[in-house]
Amino acid sequence: MDLSNMFFDHGVLNLANWMGNVIMPTLAGLFIIIAILEFSKGGEFSHSLYGALACLLVSGLTRAFETFASQRAWNDPDLYWVALTTVINWVGNVILPVYAAVQVVAGALRMGLFSSLHPASGGLRHLATAGLCLLVSGLLRLAEFFVTQGTAGVT
Amino acid sequence: MPIPQLLSDIISLLLLLAPSAALLSLVLAGLALRREGVATLAMGAGFTKWMFWAIVFLTLQPLLSWFPSFGVGMPIVSGGITTDWLASFQSDVASFVTGFVVGRIVPTCAAYFVLRAILDTASGGHPLPSILTAMFLLGTETTYNLIQSYNTGTPYATADVLDSLWNHLAGTIMPIAAVLALVAAILNFSIRKPFLKHIAVSMALLSVSAVWNLVLAMM
Repeated sequence: MDLSNMFFDHGVLNLANWMGNVIMPTLAGLFIIIAILEFSKGGEFSHSLYGALACLLVSGLTRAFETFASQRAWNDPDLYWVALTTVINWVGNVILPVYAAVQVVAGALRMGLFSSLHPASGGLRHLATAGLCLLVSGLLRLAEFFVTQGTAGVT
Repeated sequence: MPIPQLLSDIISLLLLLAPSAALLSLVLAGLALRREGVATLAMGAGFTKWMFWAIVFLTLQPLLSWFPSFGVGMPIVSGGITTDWLASFQSDVASFVTGFVVGRIVPTCAAYFVLRAILDTASGGHPLPSILTAMFLLGTETTYNLIQSYNTGTPYATADVLDSLWNHLAGTIMPIAAVLALVAAILNFSIRKPFLKHIAVSMALLSVSAVWNLVLAMM
């Protein structure tokens, strides 16, 4: 064992890379499964669903945070405040409009369909769950597709 | 009155054993890292204490150069230890620390802490303190070399090394820790635990120098 080539910072860096690039994408699949199971019981599944997406986005979120934290010079006392302001602006101006669109679609579905036909209610929910159970890999690939498309940014 | 040879040799022996003491201090710092967890790396905790002593041992000679300015003569003898058995003792202790403790015991301890991480998780604890301890122990030799490379050899060497280590921590280690904080935030969000704290910490870890300058600006 050659201890002269083992650096603590290399170890921590490789740990972070392993977590972000290996473990978290694997956990994304787990969270999709949890989301389907919660959906089947009529429970709250959005945290697991968004969590699965976030698990695939560790590198992207890291780059985003690095961008937020480099809006000023590294020694600018206002950097932390500016970084927090930028995060809040990003959530308010980028994420929430997308969330608004999702809410409009959800509202339209609720208004356009009878409650008995709504995917989250009654017998149809069980049928939808059965379909989703067979689609775990497909859903994961779909999330990966969204993430891959997202690297080019929204156009 | 000239200093007796044996006394000069004992002074030389203690100074020559300082690097070995620094290595042992680094090992003890690693063990303290596990005992106290990663959340208590505060000034005064065991990890910081042993890191401080490792730095003091490595910069002992430059630090002693302050004493003549206080009016205290420092009889630092150059040329090593002339008494054979004392020279042999110094050589034996140094090779014991590097060959046995650092070369053999430390990797075994690191392997134990990897196992401990799994057992910690099984018992409801967190694996990160044990994993970081294992990494710190495996990096004892290179951390020692890193500290030595920061030693300027001036009377201010101890402060210089502490400054450089702070820069290394703030500029190299903490941005990586920010990724781990982000991962923790995602996992906490997914299992419906509080996660905003981790977002704020991740952002702070990416701007440690700026936070330091913020505190300076407040003074």
